[in-house]
Amino acid sequence: MADDRTGLGLVELAILEALEGLGGRAGGRDVRCERVLAAVEDSIGLARGYGYEVLADMALPWKVQVPLLSPHGNFGGRGNDPPASARYTDARLSRAGEVVLAAARGEMAPVPAGLINGNTHRRGTRPPFRPERIIAAVRAVLDDPGITPGKLLEIVGPPDFMTGCTVSGDLAGLRAGRKAELVLQARVTITSPAALQAQGASARRWHRYAPDSAVIVIDSFPPYVSVDDAAAAIAERASRRDLDSRYPGLSQATRLPLRNVVDESHRGRYWIACIPDAGADPQQIRNQLLDIYGVYDQVSVALPAPLGPAIKDWTAARQNEDLAASLAALESAIAAGEPYDES
Amino acid sequence: MLLAAVLAAADVSFVLVGSAALWLRGEAMPVGDTDAVIEPREPNLRRLHAALNSLAVRPRQVPSVSRLRGLPIARVMTSFGNLDCLLEQGRLEWGRLRGGAETIMVTDVGVLVASAGDAWALRRRFKDGHG
Repeated sequence: MADDRTGLGLVELAILEALEGLGGRAGGRDVRCERVLAAVEDSIGLARGYGYEVLADMALPWKVQVPLLSPHGNFGGRGNDPPASARYTDARLSRAGEVVLAAARGEMAPVPAGLINGNTHRRGTRPPFRPERIIAAVRAVLDDPGITPGKLLEIVGPPDFMTGCTVSGDLAGLRAGRKAELVLQARVTITSPAALQAQGASARRWHRYAPDSAVIVIDSFPPYVSVDDAAAAIAERASRRDLDSRYPGLSQATRLPLRNVVDESHRGRYWIACIPDAGADPQQIRNQLLDIYGVYDQVSVALPAPLGPAIKDWTAARQNEDLAASLAALESAIAAGEPYDES
Repeated sequence: MLLAAVLAAADVSFVLVGSAALWLRGEAMPVGDTDAVIEPREPNLRRLHAALNSLAVRPRQVPSVSRLRGLPIARVMTSFGNLDCLLEQGRLEWGRLRGGAETIMVTDVGVLVASAGDAWALRRRFKDGHG
């Protein structure tokens, strides 16, 4: 059951509590994750393997809008590389984590952390929203309790999945409290070797292609797909040459005319470059790429109630507490967030 | 939808169910994963295994033929999206589902698609937990 004051789940709160209990406050010392998981197991009986998955998700900026932990060590990347064993990784509370924990304990007014972070990163149905927009929406209700739900929806905007991927689907249905299927798509851009080199890409890699030839670059991948899998999916599709002479229509529909696929991901920047066959239409390839799993992802979402009234009700039920102060604390803590070093 | 056509072009015998089947039957609904009830005969499981090996983004995770004989469901990630092979459903109901199915062309490949009634019944059973 979610905590009424923060919207966080029981396990997330137990992890925050354990970290703090072991001295892992924001700006303080790191705590070995193995010790945190042992404390969580002692307090709520949660198996360590599952606890570690939740802990890692709480720390990674492509999984949650507001990381509640500050990770140190190898917590994995966006490919198929998992975090190192909890025996070798450390964490402490982020400043936002400290604010959320204080709100959960009643040491300050509530904060809408659960609404901001959602739970789709753990295969739940609540999508994430931009933190500054949720904070602005709550403030708008505090300023004008009669604000219309429609105006609040304008302030909140669509769900935001952290990586810059595009989001489409039945957004109106989602806001109205209905189930919706969202499609998340990476950014797919047609560029050239010359432009890539001007942006700092490896000259050694790109000098062998004509400077003004087409290169299709894919980045801003959806957050819950592996970039390694996306690269493998593109390469698999490109290798399906003339699938079957019995089905020319299917061959035409599935053939992806690429002569090379290069995963250029490095030091936390994830991008794949695709080199079209000579004479192939880059725009057509771009459209085909957008339909390849990994370049797109589908997420089933639903909110427990229509979003506008829910924000109004949440705020109204807590207006006897100093929400302005807790929102300001959360905002300031988010602004002070430490970047995650993936190198 | 293309995934079903690719599977059929690889001579795998299956009946398409789920949202893709309902979409092909004219229902206005978003299409998610591809759900296929697999004919349980041994030669078909071998063809399925070969097709999955060529389609899978992670081929090492494709179950062996002997595993396919006993698994209830095999999920495989492909460049066309996720494929759920409903193996147990095939062992239990292949004849009945095949009887109600109809061939619908996807590009130039014929795909056996479950009747709308069967597709809805299976969807309710798997998605909503009824029955």
